[in-house]
Amino acid sequence: MTQRHVVSTVIAAATMLALSGGAVAAADGKLVLFANGEDLATDGFVGRKLTKDGWELHFDHVFATVDDLVAHQTEPPYDAEAGGEPAATVSVAFETGGPVTLDLAAAGDDGRVRVADAAAPEGHYNALTWSAVPAPGGDWAGQSMVFIGTATKDGRSVPFTLTSADTHEYTCGEYVGDERKGFVTAGDEADLEITFHLDHIFGRADKPADDPMNQEATGFDAFSDGGTQAISLAGLHIGHVGEGHCAVSYR
Amino acid sequence: MALALLAAPGPVLGHAALIDVMETRAVTIHARYDTGQPLAEAQVAVFAPDDPRTPWLTGRTDADGRFSFVPDGREGRWAIQARQAGHGAMGYITWGAAEPGEATMLALASPAATDGLQRLVLAACVVWACISTALYFRRRPAGHKGAR
Repeated sequence: MTQRHVVSTVIAAATMLALSGGAVAAADGKLVLFANGEDLATDGFVGRKLTKDGWELHFDHVFATVDDLVAHQTEPPYDAEAGGEPAATVSVAFETGGPVTLDLAAAGDDGRVRVADAAAPEGHYNALTWSAVPAPGGDWAGQSMVFIGTATKDGRSVPFTLTSADTHEYTCGEYVGDERKGFVTAGDEADLEITFHLDHIFGRADKPADDPMNQEATGFDAFSDGGTQAISLAGLHIGHVGEGHCAVSYR
Repeated sequence: MALALLAAPGPVLGHAALIDVMETRAVTIHARYDTGQPLAEAQVAVFAPDDPRTPWLTGRTDADGRFSFVPDGREGRWAIQARQAGHGAMGYITWGAAEPGEATMLALASPAATDGLQRLVLAACVVWACISTALYFRRRPAGHKGAR
């Protein structure tokens, strides 16, 4: 857990203690945290959704290692554009026992990967903080994200493995999607979601070349030699909460 | 004689259409990308303070990314969501204050923000005020709250 998360969690815990007159509030429900890479991770960049430079991508694996997962009730709601620390009144840490590696290409039928759950006091968890960190062990130790798959263009297929060792710290506001999320009530469970937008890395052929996302995205041409190559993700806004934005910093 | 009675002018009752016109406060949102491009025809959902999970009103922004609505009098924090083509944002406004409220539309996807300095500039550009404004509108029959 990073220093900023320790500080925010301690502040939130102190606030809860003060509000409850010294007794820690009971955990009334459960929060379940999911992650996904949308259909671009499971189905690939296919059809109209080729990369910005016209490559079709299929992923065997999209590994992402995450840590420091904390859901917050904030007042006022967190403004990811303004950045800074969320004004948390309640914070709930997902105890994962350290960094956990997810395969976003192996999502379930609902397109999501279950990350962790935690007992949570009632309320609306309208902010989420988390980090993508280098994996401490395993086949891809030292890498925070790894993309393994095959790229195809003009009849040429290129097996690739792209590795990133970047650490990214995200502070996100409320989930934005088909429904609002994060409302915990007594005896019930609610879910939250980390959403990786892979088109911010590879761009999208079905969007104009001058679209800001395409202008920033790396695309795939730079990796067309295939094999194992390093990719820098610094500066790219990959992590979201549904369609909602996050403040991000890279190390 | 009977024909004369039938043709005589008199009051018409039962099916008159009436319109009351009045001035009221409303909430207007302006949804746009941090590049300044409006979220035209974006999906909008409005959530009332006492039922934050169920949209109280849905609609679409106009070509300039604007959408207006009149809260039904419930005081507290109203939430407004705007979404378009994989980009989304939430805005909030506290309704019920004597003075027009202010709200901020939060968190549009911003792939262009690449470093601390640039991010501050972009943040200053994307934050906008949502001001309750007085406007004329036609009072609608009760139960038509789903329409803009």
